[in-house]
Amino acid sequence: MREKKTLFNYINAFIFIIFAFLIFVPLWKVLVDSVDLKTAYGMRLWPAEFGWDGYASVFRNPTLSRPLLVSVFTTIVGTAVALTLCTMGAYVLIQWNMPGRTFFANMLLFTMIFNGGMIPTFLVLKSLHLTNTLWVVILFPALNVYNLVLMRNFFEGIPASLFESAELDGCSPMQTFLRIVLPMSKAALASIGLMFAVTYWNDYTHYKLYITDSKLYNFQMKLRSIVMGSDLPSAQGNANENTVSNAAIIVIIIPFMILYPFLQKYFVKGVNIGAVKE
Amino acid sequence: MKNKKLFLKMYKYKGFYLMFLPVLVFAIIFFYAPMFGIRFAFTNYNGIKTPDFVGLDNFVRMFGVPSFWKAFFNTIQISVIKLVLTTTIAVVVSILLNEIINIHFKKAVQTIIYLPHFMSWVVTASLFTLILAPTSHGLVNTMLINMGFINENEMIYFLGKESTWRPVYYLINIWKETGWQTVIFMATLAGINTELYEAASIDGAGRWQKMRYITFPALANTILTVFILNLAKVMNLFESAFVLQNDAVLNTANVLETYIYYQTFNSGSIPNYGYTTAVGLFKSLVGCVLVLVCNQWSKKVRDGRGIV
Repeated sequence: MREKKTLFNYINAFIFIIFAFLIFVPLWKVLVDSVDLKTAYGMRLWPAEFGWDGYASVFRNPTLSRPLLVSVFTTIVGTAVALTLCTMGAYVLIQWNMPGRTFFANMLLFTMIFNGGMIPTFLVLKSLHLTNTLWVVILFPALNVYNLVLMRNFFEGIPASLFESAELDGCSPMQTFLRIVLPMSKAALASIGLMFAVTYWNDYTHYKLYITDSKLYNFQMKLRSIVMGSDLPSAQGNANENTVSNAAIIVIIIPFMILYPFLQKYFVKGVNIGAVKE
Repeated sequence: MKNKKLFLKMYKYKGFYLMFLPVLVFAIIFFYAPMFGIRFAFTNYNGIKTPDFVGLDNFVRMFGVPSFWKAFFNTIQISVIKLVLTTTIAVVVSILLNEIINIHFKKAVQTIIYLPHFMSWVVTASLFTLILAPTSHGLVNTMLINMGFINENEMIYFLGKESTWRPVYYLINIWKETGWQTVIFMATLAGINTELYEAASIDGAGRWQKMRYITFPALANTILTVFILNLAKVMNLFESAFVLQNDAVLNTANVLETYIYYQTFNSGSIPNYGYTTAVGLFKSLVGCVLVLVCNQWSKKVRDGRGIV
């Protein structure tokens, strides 16, 4: 049944053009200003004097390549560790007859209700000599109970008969996990893996709390200090400080912006893994 | 006999226990070990000398400090207003988005409005610091000048003024999160049986009546669920406030987590871990009560399904 377009539909479409425009303008503005060499950007939505000097300042600066590398490294390793914990934990939690299963589940869920707090956590990590190492920013966010529960909800949908026949064929739990559970969960792995990757890439709080050695800063930390003006890289060519800040913002979001249109459906699916169970 | 049976059963599951071991180790190190650190709340621990037991002194001091109470009420006010605003707008946006007929236009809008959710808070703060800058670089101030609301020497430092900080903070949150919040509502709307709408049309129901009597009731349960889930987390407010605040606006922008942070790491003297642990414990307890209350509430409205 095809609805007739009424005045309401046109007004509605117009509202969304405005809404999407307002959401998009801040991002567009940064992109434009990052290639605009003429200062006093004001309301321009197109560069007045086009040039790449802002990016040149970012990339030629040796103090910026290291944070970028730290970001890439922690994102890759962190996502791998986090997905391993998440899938193995979720797999064990669907063993309904396993003695102690309820205890383990409750033990994890309790951490969602109550935690030691910022300072005791800091003191524990410090006494374990994890502060000021990249271990802390890789390992600490790796166990995410919320994502583990999402993964468990997904695993519950795998037919029990598959597990039974695997067991009859003499598969060990680990073999069943690797040969049946993981291959059947590609969609969930993609969704939750991407969520972890974004978390690691965007991490700022854990660096701020646990890392004081500037050699171990990721790009978010670096970007923060650039924009706050305490750590401006020397501007190259015709770029001014603001152009450099804008260019630095684009550098940290561009990998995601390029991948996003292809990945969007996985992110949306991730939200709905939990919702489907209702 | 019974023990032996249990042991045999556990032996059968040995592979699974082994697989759960890493998760267990992580949970113990990162979640349970810090809980034992809560004992510092009753001491004067400062990281240097051995802590002395001081009873409830830290709590007595805390309840007597005005900036603590300020941070406490700021946390609740900012979190709750933010939650109500973003949820309300997300619901309205979802209902209207659902009325869009052209599927490509709808997809394009969704792609754009989801985008800011994936920007980190540092990126978001940097972006708005530049756009709201009280200089000729700043988009908003230039716009206000061009429209004649202010003149060039009255530019507004939006993020550095107590009167403008909170409205700007809410707007930034709306910019960043409302789009993504519509995902869950759109999923619910997609699940509504289209026959309901057709039957209503045959009965002569107009667009508004259909929204009022079909769309909105279908959403009500999801709205409440989202609201309860987020209400349970109101005490956790940290990063978004932290990256947007500065010394000039602390009176209105400081929340409990940032208060703890400044007191510990930026106080300029030897950190009093005992005191800040006590503040953290108070925060965690309030958060815990909120979760349990919300959980009961959730069970009531969601046929026995809690949130944890």
